[in-house]
Amino acid sequence: MNATPRRLALGVLTILITVVAAVSLLTAQDMAADYPIDWWAPSQGGTLPAVLHLDNPSGTLGILNTSGSLDTKGHPFFEPLGTNGRACVTCHQPAAAMSVSAAMVKERWRKTSGKDPLFAAIDGSNCPSLPQAKEASHSLLINRGLFRVGIHWPPPNAEFTLEAVRDPSTCNTDPVWGLKSKNPTVSVFRRPRITANLRYVTSGDAPFNSKTGELTDLDPDTGRHVAMNLMADARAATLQLQAIDAALTHLQAKAAPTAEQLRRILDFENKIYLAQSGDRIGGLFSAPNAPDGLGPAALEHGQPGLGDNLKLPVFGLFDVWKDLSKSPGLTDAQKEFRESVARGAEVFLLRPFWIRDTANLNDTGPGNPVKRTCTTCHNARFTGMDLAPGFIDLGTNNYPNWTEPGLYSESGSLPVFKVTCGKSAPPHPYLGRTIYTTDPGRALISGKCADVGSIVMPQFRGLAARAPYFANGSAQTLGDLVDYYDTRFDMKMTRPEKSDLINFLSAL
Amino acid sequence: MIRLSLAIAVLSTTLAAQQLSFVTCPVVRDTKTVPCWLAEYEGELYYLGMQEDIDAAWFPPQQSHEVLVEGTVQPGPRVCGGIPLSPLFTSVMPELTRSCNTVLPAKDEIPAPAATRPPVTHPMEEPSSPPYIARDFTVFFDFDNDQMPARSTSVIASVAAWAATVHATSLQITAARGAALLSDGRVLNESEVIATRRANKIARLLKGLGVPASSLSIRIEDTPAKPDGIHDPATRRVRIIVQP
Repeated sequence: MNATPRRLALGVLTILITVVAAVSLLTAQDMAADYPIDWWAPSQGGTLPAVLHLDNPSGTLGILNTSGSLDTKGHPFFEPLGTNGRACVTCHQPAAAMSVSAAMVKERWRKTSGKDPLFAAIDGSNCPSLPQAKEASHSLLINRGLFRVGIHWPPPNAEFTLEAVRDPSTCNTDPVWGLKSKNPTVSVFRRPRITANLRYVTSGDAPFNSKTGELTDLDPDTGRHVAMNLMADARAATLQLQAIDAALTHLQAKAAPTAEQLRRILDFENKIYLAQSGDRIGGLFSAPNAPDGLGPAALEHGQPGLGDNLKLPVFGLFDVWKDLSKSPGLTDAQKEFRESVARGAEVFLLRPFWIRDTANLNDTGPGNPVKRTCTTCHNARFTGMDLAPGFIDLGTNNYPNWTEPGLYSESGSLPVFKVTCGKSAPPHPYLGRTIYTTDPGRALISGKCADVGSIVMPQFRGLAARAPYFANGSAQTLGDLVDYYDTRFDMKMTRPEKSDLINFLSAL
Repeated sequence: MIRLSLAIAVLSTTLAAQQLSFVTCPVVRDTKTVPCWLAEYEGELYYLGMQEDIDAAWFPPQQSHEVLVEGTVQPGPRVCGGIPLSPLFTSVMPELTRSCNTVLPAKDEIPAPAATRPPVTHPMEEPSSPPYIARDFTVFFDFDNDQMPARSTSVIASVAAWAATVHATSLQITAARGAALLSDGRVLNESEVIATRRANKIARLLKGLGVPASSLSIRIEDTPAKPDGIHDPATRRVRIIVQP
C-alpha cells in the first residue's frame, strides 16, 4: 500500500501559515501546491486502518471505518470481481474521498502509460472502439475524471426522441456502441460518486416523491420505498443493485457478485464515514472548540434529516469560529481561515438569491423564481444533498446554462444530444420541447421530457480530495464551481463572499 | 378536496363581488423578506400570494409561463401593492412564454404580508367498521396539468388505505376534462389527453400502493365541461368511487 496514514505535520503547517499571512484573501484551493497522490491498487492487500488521514490539496481527508481496521486481502471491495482487473476500489479511492480525482487519474496515466485497469476500454475510454493506447482516447477520464455510462435506449414510455448532433467521444455514433447499433445505447460521461456516508444518502422511505407526486422506487428485497438518491440518475434503488450494476458494467464481471460478496461490500460501504479533517492553513478540525459538523467523527452518530438554517443547520453550527480574536493558541492565519469558513457557512445558509428555471425544483411548488438560499436544494443534514429525491436540472447539462462552450462550438468535449419532446407530453418546464443537452440525466431512466438534464446532486463531503466537480467534471476547482452558481443565478457575490464560501466547502 | 369544495362554495356566495378569470404573465415583487406574487389584468394589479414552501396550500406561479387566474375580488386594503383575490385558483399554463419575466424591486412602503395560510395537514382517516358503503374521493388538478402535490397524493394514499380496509371489490376512476370561461368571454379547454393522463396516473399510483389492478376501471369524460366562470376549477378533477 502506497498510502501511509499520516497526520498533518506541524512543521509544514507553520511554514504554510507564514506564507498565508501575507496573502490574506487567497483561499485554501488557491494555495494548493504539489501534493502526494496515493493510489490503492486492486489486490495490493494491506490494512485499511479504522481511522485514516490522507493528504489532499487543501489539507487532510479523514476516513473512519466504524467496524475497525480492515484486512483488505480477499475483500470483494478491494479485489477484482470481473474480467478487466478493476476492483471497486479502482474508482473509489480512499485518497480521493472514495471517488477519483482527475489529478489522480493523470498521475496514473503517467505512471502506467495507460496500462492501469482504470483505463479499461469499456468505460475508461471515450469509446471502446477507439485506439486504446492513445491518451486522447481517454481524454474525458484524464481531463475531467469522467467515466462512460452506457444506458440502453430508449427507456420505457419515452416521451422524447434523441439525436446525437455532436459527438467528440464518437461513442454515440459508433456502429457497435452507439444509438443506432444493434443494442442501442446512449453514452453519457459522469463522475463516480463517493462510497461513504451512505447511511445519510440512503435515508428516507416516503412512498411519494414530494416533488413529482410519483411513487418512489421500491427495494425489491424488502418492498420498502427508497430515497432515490443513489447514482446520478437514481437508476439503482439500493446499494446492492448499484453494486451489481457496477460489477457487471464497470468491472465487466460475467456474473453478479455472490450474495456473500455483496454482503461484505455493503457492510464495508455502510461503515465508512469521511470528511475533511484538517486544513493546511486552518489546522486540524478535531481541535478543541471546532465546529461540531466537521470531520468524519461528526457523521458517525448523526441523525439524517432536514437541516434547519438557524437551529440545526445542514453542516452544524460554526459559531465557535465566528470570532477568534481572543482565542489563544491560534496563529493569525489559522484565525483568519476559520473565521472565513464560519462566514462561508453563513453565505451557504443565509444569503438569499433568486433561484430560477431549475426543473424539479422551481416547478414543484416554490414558484419560479424563488428567493431562497443554497440550502433550499442542499438541505440534507451532514451531506448537503436533497432529502426529496434529489434529481434537479441545475442547468449544467442543458443549453443555454450548460457548462460547455456554445451550441455550435467545436471545442466542446462532451456529446451534444438534441432532445425532441412529443407534442402530447408535458414539456420541460423551462426549455420547452426542443432541448440540447450533454446528458439527459434522469430522463434516460424516467423517459420524461421534464426530467431532461436532471441529475441527483452529490454529497458535499471530502470535496477538497476529489476535484473536478459537478457530475460532468466541468468545474476544475471549487472556485469554478462557485463561479458557475454566481453566474447561473446572478448572485452578484463579492470576492470575499466567494473566498469564504470556497473555504467553507473545502472544509467539509 | 375539502378545501377546494369549501372555496368553491364561498366563491358562489360571493358572486356579488367581482369574479375574475384571466390569463396573464405572473409578476413577482421583491420585498425585504420573501417575495409576493401579483398578476396584472386590464391595467390593475391583483395580489395572488406570497412565496412559501412545498407544504403550503397555494403554490406560486412560474415565470417563463403564463398563469390562469380564477378568483374573486375582495374589498379591503391592497396587499403587496395588489388587490387581493379570494378564493383564488392559479394554474401554470404548460407552454413556454419567455417574456413572462417581470420582477419588481422591493419598496420600503410595500412590506411582505405575514404568512397567514396555515400549513396543510393530511390527517389519516379514522378507522371505520363494517358494514361499509361505497365511498367517493375526488382529486382536483390545475388547468391542463396532471401534477399532484402532497395535498393530492394524500387523497390517493387515503383511497388505497380505504380500499384495503374494506377489501374493495372495485375502484371506478372517472376523469373529467375541464374548461375555463375567461372574463373576456373566451373559453379555454383542457387538452384532449389530459383526462386520460390523470386517470392513468392515479391508476398507476393506486397499483403501486397495493390496489389490485383487476379492481380498477377507468372512465374518461373527454368532452370538456361547460364552463361558467365560477365553478370551473371543480371541473378539472378525477373521482374515485370505492365499492366494498
